[in-house]
Amino acid sequence: MASLSQSSTAFSASFKPTLACSSRVSSLKSVSFSITGKRFPSLTSRPGRFQVSCSAKPETLNKVCDIVKKQLALPDDTAVTAGSKFTELGADSLDTVEIVMGLEEEFGISVEEESAQTIATVQDAADLIEKLVEKKA
Amino acid sequence: MSFTLRSVKVPPNSVSLDEARHRVFDFFRAACRSIPTVMDIYNLNDVVAPSHLRSVVAAEIRKHASVTNPKVIDMLLFKAMEELNNITEHAKQRHHIIGQYVVGREGLMQDTGAKDQGASNFLKDFYKTNYF
Repeated sequence: MASLSQSSTAFSASFKPTLACSSRVSSLKSVSFSITGKRFPSLTSRPGRFQVSCSAKPETLNKVCDIVKKQLALPDDTAVTAGSKFTELGADSLDTVEIVMGLEEEFGISVEEESAQTIATVQDAADLIEKLVEKKA
Repeated sequence: MSFTLRSVKVPPNSVSLDEARHRVFDFFRAACRSIPTVMDIYNLNDVVAPSHLRSVVAAEIRKHASVTNPKVIDMLLFKAMEELNNITEHAKQRHHIIGQYVVGREGLMQDTGAKDQGASNFLKDFYKTNYF
């Protein structure tokens, strides 16, 4: 009897941390949803380790294009495609850094200096954002 | 007082223009990352957007965009870091921030409207800044 009650308390003690863990995880998930404001599909169809270059979601790309247009004060009919370089759109290096900071603020991510140096086109920026958002979520 | 955040150590001068450029970008990133804190400290959430403050910082950097001497750039960066430290450690007050960085970016040349209407675009740009 005593041993049974002891084992039952041991079981309940072992269950409690897992419950706490799962609730913490779920609250983290809900916080990340409210920050990004969009639902991620839980299982993407991306294969294992391969980084497919055209893997940025279209809404991310659209947001990046909007921010770029607003930052460089381009008229709305300028074609900002995924492959357009920032220098082609008339941005100097300070503009590029400012665009990256604007994207940091918009998506709530933090870009390191080395990664920021490699951003040359709109597509690069969108891919980097995707990677960082997934790492964070 | 919390003035210990001030970095009194002066880093050695930049060797080349490239290093000075990197320091400028590092400073710009540090300033942009401290903008949310600044908006929180001085209650600027209803007055201005973070993107506006970012563009103001960028404009200040661009004012000296044609400088090529790395030592001069280091000096400007030192002053900029001092200003940033002052702002983030709340050594300034709200009206300082609003007056210097939010409103009245034209300096002392306020556009009086009726007097300047005949002025050409060239003159207007000339009054605003040296580099156009």
